[in-house]
Amino acid sequence: MPLTQQEAAQALKDITRTERRSVSLQGYRMTWPHLVLWGVIWFIGYGAMAAHVAWPYLWLVLSLAGSAGSFFFGYRLSRDRAKGMDWRYAATFFAIFLFIAALFAVMPPQTDAQYGAFFPILVSLYYALIGIWTRGLRMLVLGILLAAITIIGFFYLRENFELLMALVGGGGLILGGLWLRSA
Amino acid sequence: MDQPDQTIHQPVRLKIMAALKPLPDGAQIEFVKLKDLVGATDGNLGAHVTTLEDAGYIDVEKDFAGKKPRTRVRLSRKGRRAFEDYVAYLRDIIDLPREEP
Repeated sequence: MPLTQQEAAQALKDITRTERRSVSLQGYRMTWPHLVLWGVIWFIGYGAMAAHVAWPYLWLVLSLAGSAGSFFFGYRLSRDRAKGMDWRYAATFFAIFLFIAALFAVMPPQTDAQYGAFFPILVSLYYALIGIWTRGLRMLVLGILLAAITIIGFFYLRENFELLMALVGGGGLILGGLWLRSA
Repeated sequence: MDQPDQTIHQPVRLKIMAALKPLPDGAQIEFVKLKDLVGATDGNLGAHVTTLEDAGYIDVEKDFAGKKPRTRVRLSRKGRRAFEDYVAYLRDIIDLPREEP
């Protein structure tokens, strides 16, 4: 028996609702390992800064380790799709690297705190955009919280900014990643 | 299409197909996640997954993640086409002149 218009409309509504939930879950699944990884890196990096560890290559080494880890997670996910490595992962990392290099060449941060605040704000924007476009409420909440913590720390808790970013920023990313994983 | 595809038309199977459709080509979803998305029990979902697999609309892969058994499901090309046809069928019905109450 053919469907009525009401039945067809209801079926389309069910499809749309399920598709949206699926897209959100897919976003969480792709993102949570990166969050945990970068949470650990922030914890180490900002923790070392708070402890006045004066090793000039600290963030370079941590960033390279984090990028390699993120690259690996992207590779593993694309391998699960049985389509081989997606060149867009590498291209995305390269584009972000060029963007940051160009930005710092034109407008270099003047203080360590500005360097320290820039990356969390950039990451917050990334999470918020992903949350908006995939209707992933958890991602959006994480982005907003991370940005708020960073800005509050930068302006009002400057003396303890690195410690705040290690404990709340790094710890928050780790907890956020586990929160996404549980979805 | 005069009649809906009866394999997809069943509400739980429709949700399974809708959950798989947005995934990239070849991407899989774990059975437990699918269960959350669809809101079905293990047994109910298992039966409908088997029906869709028998129709060639989905591929089911069973393996072990460590020591835990794992079932993953992906949409087949045939299933993607069938689902797109089904959605087009629904849109055609909605686009018809309004039915008299």
